Amino acid sequence: MMLHQEMARLAKGLVSDPVAGAPDADITLAPTSAEDAASVLGFAAEHSLPVRFWGGGTHQGMGYPVVADILMSTHRMSSIVDWQVDDLTVTVQPGVLIADLEGELQQRRQTAVLQEVPGQSTVGGAVAAGLSGWRRLRYGPTRDRALEVRLATGDGRLIRGGGRLVKNVTGYDLPRLATGSFGSLGLITEMCLKLWPLPPEHAMVPVQDAERALALAYRPLALIETNAGATLYLSGSREELEAQAERVGGDLVSGHRWPQPLVGAVEATLRVPPSAVAQLVEKLRAAGIDFQAAHGVGEIRLVGSLGELAELRDTVEATGGALVIGKIPKGADFDPWGKPPEGIDLQRRVKAAFDPRSVANPGILPGGI
Amino acid sequence: MNPTQAQLDACVTCGLCLPHCPTFRLTGDEVASPRGRIAAMGAIATGALPSDETYAEMMSFCLGCLACEAACPSLIPYGEMLVGAREQLAKDQPSLAGRLRRLLAGRILNMKWLLALVTSGIGILQKLRVVGFLPKRLRLMRGLRPLRVFPHSVLGVRDHTPAEPAGSVALLAGCVMDEWFPEVHDATRGVLQMAGFQVHSPERQQCCGALAAHEGAGEEARRMAQRNVSAFSGYDYVVADAAGCSAHLKEYNQWAEGGESVAERARDVTEFVAALIDRGLLPTFAEARGPVAMQDPCHLRHGQRITAAPRRLVRAAGYTPVEIDQDGLCCGAAGLYMVYEHETADELGASKAAEIQATGLTTVVSANPGCEIQLRSHLGKGYRIVHPIELYWESLS
Amino acid sequence: MTLVDDLQAILGPDRVLSHPLELLVYAKDAGVTPGEAVAAVLPETTQEVSACLRVAARHGVPVVARGTGTGLSGGAVPDEPALLVVMTRVDPAWEIDAASRCAWVGAGALNLDVSRGIEGLGMHFAPDPSSQAACTIGGNVGTNAGGPHCLAEGTTVVHVLGVEMVTASGDVVVLGSAAPDPIGLDLRGVVVGSEGTLGIVTRVLVKLTENPPAVRTLLLTFDSLRAAAATVSATIAAGIVPAALEMMDQPMVIAVEAFIHADLPVDAAAVLIAEVVGLDEGVDAEAATIERIAVEQGATSVRVAGDDAERELLWKARKNAFGAVAQAAPNYYLHDTVVPRTALADVVTQIYEIAERFELEMMNVFHAGDGNLHPLVAYDAREPGKAEQVQAAAEEMVRVSVAAGGSLTGEHGIGLEKRDLMGLVFSPVDLDAQARLRDAFDPDGLMNPGKILPRGARCYDYGMSALPESEPS
Repeated sequence: MMLHQEMARLAKGLVSDPVAGAPDADITLAPTSAEDAASVLGFAAEHSLPVRFWGGGTHQGMGYPVVADILMSTHRMSSIVDWQVDDLTVTVQPGVLIADLEGELQQRRQTAVLQEVPGQSTVGGAVAAGLSGWRRLRYGPTRDRALEVRLATGDGRLIRGGGRLVKNVTGYDLPRLATGSFGSLGLITEMCLKLWPLPPEHAMVPVQDAERALALAYRPLALIETNAGATLYLSGSREELEAQAERVGGDLVSGHRWPQPLVGAVEATLRVPPSAVAQLVEKLRAAGIDFQAAHGVGEIRLVGSLGELAELRDTVEATGGALVIGKIPKGADFDPWGKPPEGIDLQRRVKAAFDPRSVANPGILPGGI
Repeated sequence: MNPTQAQLDACVTCGLCLPHCPTFRLTGDEVASPRGRIAAMGAIATGALPSDETYAEMMSFCLGCLACEAACPSLIPYGEMLVGAREQLAKDQPSLAGRLRRLLAGRILNMKWLLALVTSGIGILQKLRVVGFLPKRLRLMRGLRPLRVFPHSVLGVRDHTPAEPAGSVALLAGCVMDEWFPEVHDATRGVLQMAGFQVHSPERQQCCGALAAHEGAGEEARRMAQRNVSAFSGYDYVVADAAGCSAHLKEYNQWAEGGESVAERARDVTEFVAALIDRGLLPTFAEARGPVAMQDPCHLRHGQRITAAPRRLVRAAGYTPVEIDQDGLCCGAAGLYMVYEHETADELGASKAAEIQATGLTTVVSANPGCEIQLRSHLGKGYRIVHPIELYWESLS
Repeated sequence: MTLVDDLQAILGPDRVLSHPLELLVYAKDAGVTPGEAVAAVLPETTQEVSACLRVAARHGVPVVARGTGTGLSGGAVPDEPALLVVMTRVDPAWEIDAASRCAWVGAGALNLDVSRGIEGLGMHFAPDPSSQAACTIGGNVGTNAGGPHCLAEGTTVVHVLGVEMVTASGDVVVLGSAAPDPIGLDLRGVVVGSEGTLGIVTRVLVKLTENPPAVRTLLLTFDSLRAAAATVSATIAAGIVPAALEMMDQPMVIAVEAFIHADLPVDAAAVLIAEVVGLDEGVDAEAATIERIAVEQGATSVRVAGDDAERELLWKARKNAFGAVAQAAPNYYLHDTVVPRTALADVVTQIYEIAERFELEMMNVFHAGDGNLHPLVAYDAREPGKAEQVQAAAEEMVRVSVAAGGSLTGEHGIGLEKRDLMGLVFSPVDLDAQARLRDAFDPDGLMNPGKILPRGARCYDYGMSALPESEPS
């Protein structure tokens, strides 16, 4: 408790009310600057106090549970720092809501290609969890647009990697390392993302045979199959859209309607080589499991029972992929990651390079790193 | 005769030559690459390192195919540098094997009587069907056309002069060309006469000297070139029907006093005849005789940058040329290389043969005697390897 | 047993080189600085690479990986006497998963050979550095290579889904997978561009990109470099990200034309090569938009490549540019800096001023679309003081790029060339973090030492402690 008081004194002004949905922690802090975040982490490292990071709370079901003394929320770090419209880059703080950022970017017909139905997700949360939108089929995953990162590391340093440039190989690629690191290296306090111009028109084409449509269409935005059927998502000029519809032999429907997130007691994502999607879809359909499959990408979001997932995990891991839990009931006996990746010692040492005392979201990663 | 500093400096070590070098493609070792060899030449020329056996091996392992030269954005005269380095090596490290090679290229090939004797001998061996039992190193024997036991030469031939000749041509008789490929000479003479040219093969000419030059027998090469300069004087054109020879004639400015006069008038028969076809002086036939595989001799494709002409001839003869590879990688013949570096030559020959076999075609067109021998020895029975001028002449007659 | 004996025990005598002449051949890449190897090996398999690394570790000898040595920043040039591991022979049978659009290829495979090898599938490997006919995939991974078409497609890291790597201790590890977002930290992403300092990549899982149904290539001519640069900015601002957007200035065009004979406009101050790809129904409209923008910005002529042959010739011209410089002078120094593309015109102007001030002959050829500059200085190193002058000018060029919000290198890598300039863009703390990341992979510092990070990048070199002193609580 002495410690708690000292921290409260140190972190004066940072103390926040508990965040809705967040688990209990000794103290909830909401830094307003990268420097504040770094000093809190430095203090935590010094006293070996685990810190859990919190954005919009939408992906907190992922990874091994983190038991933390300090909950660090990013909700007070929510500005767009620098938007270079003509350079197609934007630099933001982690607490910016995806919905707000995309809304802003849309006014100049640009997009960061983050999740299409983000809910309360923050940019920092999506980047830390390494999540991408459906449009990654066309534009690639979020990690390929992470140009620069500022990180308050687990030992309280403030470091920067990459640069606000669309092309840059100066130094090790820390922006990519940070993407999908689940806060295990520290808190992302700022990041620069590459943007894409929004094409003039958007449309969908419902298709019968997803894989066939994928082969016929030229670089569509997405091809999503759900229990209800498969849909090709397109953008471009009117002529291009019509040409694409003709290629796949379907009818254009104006605009985009993205699938709403699947909600259930158990949510998971299958990550498999794209060639494995069609077979898995058949299997899921047969089993009556609710799913949303991204053809050509290899990502299948679903809700189901733990029993069903256990069986699926074997299939998925046999393809070289992973079944990743998005949410499970508290205390359920199910590994959120499954088989850890190769090179787990390297993973552990890399984390230690940034967070030697293991206080930043400790144990959240595969292998309990 | 080491390369000059200016030549060496021209290499910016960009490495763009590497994928075009057959020996680098085989070994993955830059010691066997143009950039590596130039670096080595530089070290020897400046005296930074002594000329030793390793250096000699490096220079000897090069095919001299000149694919690197054609790919070089710095326009480095690699072939000239290599020939210079080899000549210097012949002085600095006169090994027995090297001496034998130079004796063969610089003297023996230029001895008509001896070559005729050898030709008769092989002709007899062929008739006795014992060529297949010869050692691997002499694989080239298996690639020869059936030789005449009593060879005849074009030397001194003065074909019937048309009333109003379109011009005069001196035909290079060549060394093995004359003894082993008389059909090609016949075709060349026939086509050129038909186009209205006066064709002579001057008696006092010598072997062109290309092989001697490539083996580092510079003195002999210069001597041959010098004699040919006088033998070929007075003709409008000097035509060779072996790509290696025409390439060398075009470089006579480096080899003989007054050599530029030959260099300027020298033509490979394919480019010469293709131009005549283009000018309407010779006929073309409908492309109805089927596809044939095209093999570009290095000294035509890289050395002279001629690729369209042989295809023009093939089309004019009524055939459809089919490409066998994208890069025109050397078949491994490379003059005497197929004898003294036969293992490497065999690997290259085998892969070239595999590319041809993959096309399913059984007629292969090649405009150089060495390539023809190499291809035939690797393709074996069932394949016809023919000079484009022969195909064209067949169609004409 | 000496190092060479131990290596020969693994590879036999023919694939271990130690003769001074053989090592001299491997002393340099396509850049300017030579280095020294104690031996060079030519392994063929991952296991052989691993065995060689174990031997090197036992002897405490540093290890430098090399592909075909087409790099420009000295990444494959030993900074201290080292074992050179030449990877050109490491190219086991490819495993192609056409349905997943990816393939495992050997690190020694040549970039262009990969694209040619999958031609029949209607796909290609997107990164296309100018050296693509000669460079290896392993080298591309090492430098995170770029190329003209990285404007729309991204650099190598975007096209590498996984790597098989031998670590400094000789262990073999596979990082990444054909499945998206492999779980755990993205070590694959860190390894790409790490210039062989984290391990030696032996196999690469490359992403294959669908060939576009239609391509339009435009050659735009300008009477000022500024107008060309303005066209670049205006094109991007108009919502078009072309497949490629390349610029050459007049001296460069003249040098290239002498080699390639592509009928390039040698009297223009600058030319832009713009390429748009996509559906037939889209490319003409995009090409027309670019043409309109160019004319608005003062383009003096616009030529659209009539066929594939003309298009290929234009690209051949572009990709042979830097080698063609040797016609002008025996040495060249090809720079590689990157700036926000909106700063392009200003920075280029400043770079011309620097070249003028140092009285250097400079040509420019660069990836204008991503603000990646390649000023190229042709000089004669035998002229006393010239090399130093070139070096000093180079540093100034980097400084003006950084001052404009840019960085040290867009695609060539840091290597030896720019490691001492890292302090221009990163603080000591940033560099220390990078050094620690490197140490996590290679605690003994044997993998390509002296590259990327300046000597003294670790915090103790600055007198900083690794962690704030812990106080008793």
